[in-house]
Amino acid sequence: MQTATREIAVSMTGISKRFGPVRALENANLEIARGSILGLVGQNGAGKSTIIKVLAGIIKPDSGTIVINGEVITSLTPASVEKLGVHFIHQDRLLVPTATVGEAVFLGHEIGLGPFVSRRAMERRAADLLKRFFGMELPPGTLVKDLTTAQQKVVQITRALAQKASVLVLDEPTAALVKREVDSLFDVLRRLRDDGIAVVFISHYMQEIEKLCDRVTVMRNGTDVGTVDPRQTPIDEIIAMMIARDVGEMFPKRSVTLGAPVLEVSNLRLGGSFENIGFNVRAGEIVGLTGLLGSGAKEIVQCLFGLKTADGGQVKVEGRELSLSTPVKAVRDGIAMLPEDRRAHGVALGLSVRENISLASLRRYSRSGMVSRGAENQAVDGLIKELSIKTPHRDALVRELSGGNQQKVAIAKWLSCQSRVYVLDEPTVAVDVGAKVEIYNLLNRLAGEGAAILLLSSDLLELVGVCDRVLVVYRGRLASSFSGPAMNSDALLAASSGARSNTDGVAA
Amino acid sequence: MSVSANDNSAKVSVRGFLAKYSVLIAFAVIVILFAVASPTFLTPANLFNVLVNNVVMLAIVALGLTIVISSGGIDLSVGVSVDMASMIFVMLLAAGYGGVVGVAGGLGAALIVGILNAILITRLNISPFLATLGVLFIGQSTQQLATSGGQPIYLTSGYAADQFNAIARTALFGIPTPVLVLIVLVIAVHVLLHRSVFGRYVQAMGAQPGVAWYSGIRVPRELSMVHVLCALLAGVTGILLSSTVKSYVPLSGNAFLLDAIGATFIGTTLSRERKPSVIGTLLGVLLLAIVKNGLLLVGWNFYWQQVGIGVLVFLVLAASFGLRRAAH
Ligand SMILES: Nc1ncnc2c1ncn2[C@@H]1O[C@H](COP(=O)(O)OP(=O)(O)OP(=O)(O)O)[C@@H](O)[C@H]1O
Ligand SMILES: [Mg+2]
Repeated sequence: MQTATREIAVSMTGISKRFGPVRALENANLEIARGSILGLVGQNGAGKSTIIKVLAGIIKPDSGTIVINGEVITSLTPASVEKLGVHFIHQDRLLVPTATVGEAVFLGHEIGLGPFVSRRAMERRAADLLKRFFGMELPPGTLVKDLTTAQQKVVQITRALAQKASVLVLDEPTAALVKREVDSLFDVLRRLRDDGIAVVFISHYMQEIEKLCDRVTVMRNGTDVGTVDPRQTPIDEIIAMMIARDVGEMFPKRSVTLGAPVLEVSNLRLGGSFENIGFNVRAGEIVGLTGLLGSGAKEIVQCLFGLKTADGGQVKVEGRELSLSTPVKAVRDGIAMLPEDRRAHGVALGLSVRENISLASLRRYSRSGMVSRGAENQAVDGLIKELSIKTPHRDALVRELSGGNQQKVAIAKWLSCQSRVYVLDEPTVAVDVGAKVEIYNLLNRLAGEGAAILLLSSDLLELVGVCDRVLVVYRGRLASSFSGPAMNSDALLAASSGARSNTDGVAA
Repeated sequence: MSVSANDNSAKVSVRGFLAKYSVLIAFAVIVILFAVASPTFLTPANLFNVLVNNVVMLAIVALGLTIVISSGGIDLSVGVSVDMASMIFVMLLAAGYGGVVGVAGGLGAALIVGILNAILITRLNISPFLATLGVLFIGQSTQQLATSGGQPIYLTSGYAADQFNAIARTALFGIPTPVLVLIVLVIAVHVLLHRSVFGRYVQAMGAQPGVAWYSGIRVPRELSMVHVLCALLAGVTGILLSSTVKSYVPLSGNAFLLDAIGATFIGTTLSRERKPSVIGTLLGVLLLAIVKNGLLLVGWNFYWQQVGIGVLVFLVLAASFGLRRAAH
């Protein structure tokens, strides 16, 4: 339908880029049409972010041609690209932590007179925009560092929306968001498309691609392997193009006999966040925990790892009561935690893959305070293989890995600890379909070995597919507990928005 | 297309090489220049003099700063640790105590400075820059109060002088004791920083403090250790300094601060990630020491030496940064 009048906003042809021995892009092509939403999918490390960064002028390609608005562009810089009306939300760009929301939204486009910026006006306009696009209200002058990961993402998206973009590129914008925010974002993007703007949308969630995109370009190993209409093409077929191998079943089945309770939480309370939280996780059990932003689910997990100190209540691991004042104690007591904010807390970008993976378990590979490199290398190589982390070698910097592979490094770090309890906060965000299945298999294996797993996730399909039981937190209380056939994503969604509750069996 | 790509990567690797080894190249060029300009520069006697008088003490302070900077912090109070160790050491000898007591007392004084820094940083959560700046001010005033406004203490003869000579003027297998001390400390700090569990934690805290905390590392404890070690190392320099000049001159330790920071940062050019390293720091110290000595021999006065060093640090860092950016 659009094809007849499709007007090309950006066309990139024959783009190649190598980082040392790594071929990130190999003769890749990308064509972005006005008034349409183009999906961009591919495995972790396929080159999605790299081709986007080439367009953004952040990475200089080794070869290739870029045409924007019909004009061949020979040299691109971030500033010149913005002038052409091409705006980006990068996967790994951080906001200035000490900036206010207003400053962050208008960074580089400050409102004011000459050299003077008007903070008041910026805060007010930012608040307007956040409310209009996402229905989000933040106290004026809130600092970026006090926002949750999801709120920061929303601020970043709003920044791009605030500019009069003619092309808008979003690299995994929904990775940290819950369904309601995703829906708001999709509404905004559709409106922009109808206004004739060209939108590029990168995601690992195939349902999102199917719902939102008019066309989808699939990348594999640095090359585009095809562009299809996601509404005409079955998802399986798109996944097959991405991966060129069978991923097997998305949620692998397992049969495990549950053992004694490993993690026992009772009466846990944190003023202003949650109260009267009690649940158990048994050996071999995978328990899901979910709730909307601000429901208290995040804070419960933070208390379990000693990141926040609960006001009262009891937490036991294998019958022993824990003090849980700091992560140091939590790790000693056998709790592993995969934090949501990978870049701030999960992996040190400036350290190597090896140093990151062994960081939490260094004592295992050391004798009288000295690291034994042989033992360390062996363990690290084993984990790189087990999680199929795509890295040139174990001493590559984590910064040089693709987003999803960084996440795998963060997971590998805790696997080498052999903890009793694994608390995972959004473990598969930014991870490709194949790797997701690998991570699910891994959770199953850990559970099979008798660990207790608490999985915090906003991906309801994932919770239903992986967990034995899902607890829903609503306004600081455990509102419902689902298991067996009653556990489906509609029920979870209803319970997390308070529409339905089912309190029986919560304290199981 | 492929030809130009190959061409490109060859150029890139040459630049990368230059960027990586800019310190070594600078070192070689400078040695050659001075050797040509001054006949005495390359004589064993002069090089020995540089080693003993310009390298050892600065290098030991710089080792401490290398640990601190690796942890992502800074210690502006190393001069105070030098001075405090020197002051207590000399005062104890002046009071008739033996060399062992004097050294223990001196190191104890430096230890207190380190503990003070550690408390301010890890308990009161003051940033390392401000905490150690505060300690620098307090330490300077303390010395002036303790020495009636900054009177030096000279002990150039008698019992105390023998104790000094036992440290500064002895040798083992022909290697002067201070140089031996440096060798031992270089090896110890190298192993600690680059081979031990503690060193790995230090690197992690420097790279990403949040990640260290979330990995169950006792960040406050390790950070305290970092600052205590730095102060102790500076204390060693204080004792060597007093033994060499047979006196305590208030506020003389501060002279090491900027040179030690400069040496550490020159050393970071050796690493792609700009991480401090013991080898790099040592090279930085050697470079600074040679330049100072060479300029002196060529007849530049102290102030022009400072200018020379400023230009040098700037050139090495700029070359390394610029070339590396171009290589990327
Ligand atoms: N600065 C860099 N230095 C070295 N290698 C890099 C660098 N940036 C990216 N790479 C490599 O290029 C390849 C493509 O990475 P890219 O980030 O484009 O993947 P992606 O498709 O965005 O993956 P993800 O879905 O995980 O975000 C990866 O193998 C990655 O390791
Ligand atoms: Mg990416």
